[in-house]
Amino acid sequence: MMRRFVLAHDTSRFFSKRIVSVSFLFLAIGIGSAIQSGAASDSMVDPAWKSYSQVSGVSGNLNSIGSDTLNNLMTLWAEGFRKEYPNVKIQIEGKGSSTAPPALIEGTAQVGPMSRQMKAKEMDKFEAKFGYKPTSFPVAVDALAVYVNKDNPVKCLSMEEVDAAFSKTRRRGHSVNIDTWGKAGLDGNWKSTRVSLYGRNSASGTYGFFKKKVLKKGDYKDEVKEQPGSASVVQGVTEDRGGLGYSGIGYRTSGVRAIPLSAKSGAGCYDPTFANASVGKYPLARFLYLYVNKAPGKPLPPLVSEFLKYVYSTAGQNIVIKDGYFPLPQTLITKKLGEM
Amino acid sequence: MRARIKKFLDSGTLFVWFCGTAVAASLLLVGGVLLLIMVNGLGFFWPHALVDLTLTDGTHVLGELKGEEVIPYSETPAFPEGKTRVRLKVGNRDLYGLDFRWVDTDQIVSAESPKDVAAFERREWGNFYGRIREVSRGGDVVASGNQEGWKALQPLIEQANDLHEEIEHLQRDVIGDINYDIEETRLKIRELELSGQHEPQEVAELQTATKQLETQYEKHVATLRKLSRQLDEYAVILVETNGREKQLAVGQIVKALRPNDMGFVEKILRYFMNFWSVLSEEPREANTEGGIFPAIFGTVMMVLIMSVAVVPFGVLAAFYLREYARQGLIVRVIRIAVNNLAGVPSIVFGVFGLGFFVYAVGGTLDTLFYPEALPTPTFGTGGILWASFTLALLTVPVVIVSTEEGLSAVPREYREGSLALGATKFESMLRVILPCALPGILTGLILAVARATGEVAPLMLTGVVKLAPALPLDHHFPFLHFERKFMHLGFHIFDVGFQSPNVEAAKPMVYVTTLILVMVVIVLNLSAVALRNYMQKKFKASAV
Repeated sequence: MMRRFVLAHDTSRFFSKRIVSVSFLFLAIGIGSAIQSGAASDSMVDPAWKSYSQVSGVSGNLNSIGSDTLNNLMTLWAEGFRKEYPNVKIQIEGKGSSTAPPALIEGTAQVGPMSRQMKAKEMDKFEAKFGYKPTSFPVAVDALAVYVNKDNPVKCLSMEEVDAAFSKTRRRGHSVNIDTWGKAGLDGNWKSTRVSLYGRNSASGTYGFFKKKVLKKGDYKDEVKEQPGSASVVQGVTEDRGGLGYSGIGYRTSGVRAIPLSAKSGAGCYDPTFANASVGKYPLARFLYLYVNKAPGKPLPPLVSEFLKYVYSTAGQNIVIKDGYFPLPQTLITKKLGEM
Repeated sequence: MRARIKKFLDSGTLFVWFCGTAVAASLLLVGGVLLLIMVNGLGFFWPHALVDLTLTDGTHVLGELKGEEVIPYSETPAFPEGKTRVRLKVGNRDLYGLDFRWVDTDQIVSAESPKDVAAFERREWGNFYGRIREVSRGGDVVASGNQEGWKALQPLIEQANDLHEEIEHLQRDVIGDINYDIEETRLKIRELELSGQHEPQEVAELQTATKQLETQYEKHVATLRKLSRQLDEYAVILVETNGREKQLAVGQIVKALRPNDMGFVEKILRYFMNFWSVLSEEPREANTEGGIFPAIFGTVMMVLIMSVAVVPFGVLAAFYLREYARQGLIVRVIRIAVNNLAGVPSIVFGVFGLGFFVYAVGGTLDTLFYPEALPTPTFGTGGILWASFTLALLTVPVVIVSTEEGLSAVPREYREGSLALGATKFESMLRVILPCALPGILTGLILAVARATGEVAPLMLTGVVKLAPALPLDHHFPFLHFERKFMHLGFHIFDVGFQSPNVEAAKPMVYVTTLILVMVVIVLNLSAVALRNYMQKKFKASAV
């Protein structure tokens, strides 16, 4: 059971212990049962998902400002949601997770998609204005993949090695700085090929998540090429034979390969697949969240709550699969719907 | 010998060659960029042939060939120059996971292009390549087999597309109008409540109006649902080249083609149809498919608003600097400052626009004039007006500088002649100097338009969105909705190219959008040039 907490972020002690730990507990339980039911069909679809049913009286504008990882997903959800409610207008801006908290605080957005959890500082600012904390709703699971060029024969990297490639502080304690592929165990003409690093810009939640989980809050090397979007990381690695980059699993293309990772050197290697991410074997799985401003004891505005219900429906979760991410099990969904 | 070289150098021929080379080089570079965009962009509309590869392990791969490359370091005795591999667009994303696939050429046993395979453009999950197994209606088979199915499918797809059009009309026009009215009444009620002095009767009337609108809305939604159900009436089972099946509703298919069975003329026709549909349709699937009409519209409209804002502003400033201000140190400093302003990075203008226009001006406007809509901001958030104004600020130096150039080119005799005939300074400026300076002003406008159309960074802060729910221009009073967010071609390129998950499949879309952006710039510039020529002719005639 503890193993599944790999998915959880270790900052929960700083803030909102209750929300975070409860939701992770339920993820662990929920995904556990999803594996039992889903293993036979080899599919990500949870048969327990419920189809969305329309209610009356939903209208108005919904503004969403936040993560670029979730940008496409939000757009697809918006397209689907507008089929249910043609009278709803949804505007989506996705320039990085860091843009979500200020937008929620200013009231310019009702929904703040984030690819990481809010930091304590962001939480405090929100609380200072409203007197309560924002509520997070996990909406999908993403396996943060480490990509290499399609020709790169590397079999597996441990977290220590990934850290030693990306970080100059090497907090995970790998003995050498991996700057050529030879130091990651490759032979032949790969031995002297330089590792060319691709990463995200610092406004991105992916950047923060990778820094926290892989680098243990160490520092990135200066030569990491910071890209404005996840897709450009993949593009960079496609064109660069020695490339190494990180992005969500949804951005995979035929030009790159998502390599298996092991949590510790010597431990088993796991591909970034749904099954591995769900049971916590893949070390870089994370939730993608929607943050909303919900006063305790009061219901959400109908537009926001119906949007969340849509996201948690069969249609919404199928969109998650379509966009390349991993859906949520119904048990977690039921729990989060109850919180609304 | 030395004398001859000296003579050659002195004659200046070398310099002519030098200049010629510089021109040729820049033309070559510009031409190269345009060619790259055109080669990549224009190919997008062509119905590509489908090849069916049989591999050594007995499996098949069906798709469009999208290039070939040598595998690095793969020289073997059998392949002294290295093995090659081909890239295919295999589509069927829901079955394969990825749209593209690399196949090593030494794995290929044979390649064919069967005439009976079809490419199905779908509303979700991208293209499907394969054959038809059967077409059914509510479980009853209507046509089975590829040939029969193909014949049965074509009219059904047309029917479904008509249905989609009807649904869109209902959603956008009919229901859109009702929503607009409901929102207006809601705001009116809120306004009355805020004013504190209203008849309860008035509010009640408005509330009944809302109720009526809501009933209408419910009625239309019911129709909408009925139509949506009709879309799912017919289903088709498609089968990919290895025999895996996929069932989908006919309403999911946008069009079906058999590119291997099409003649050249037919392909050309299809080419232009595809081009038109990209120009005129709304985007689908988070902008990676469908058309880019809203982005074209947003770009053109933003540039027009910007032009309206920037010209008077820049021209007045230039007139003051050139005609009224006493030429001295201060004017020189101002001129230098204006020139430097042109060199400020555009993102700085974006930040200024966000802080000044959006938060300061927009926020104030909201509290003064739109308190009923708060906390939802009306002008206090990015919108097409603020984006246009920000770009106007960005381009105003260009207009000032070229207007000043135009003014300084007006011969002194004109001014003196006009003054000597008894005109005041203002009159001579309006009637004599301004017409003469018009070409300069319009040149400034042309440069400003070119700069503004391609600018993306400041827009991202001041009102561009990935997907705008409504165009900034429609039939609701006051027709132009300056507060609305909009889509823009430049941002579309950034978004699709850098942020879409399926970047491989979206790449052609990036080139197409770039091509169209270049075309929009050219069209806007040509119309400004035409305007300039017209003006020149007109004023030449009147001056005589």
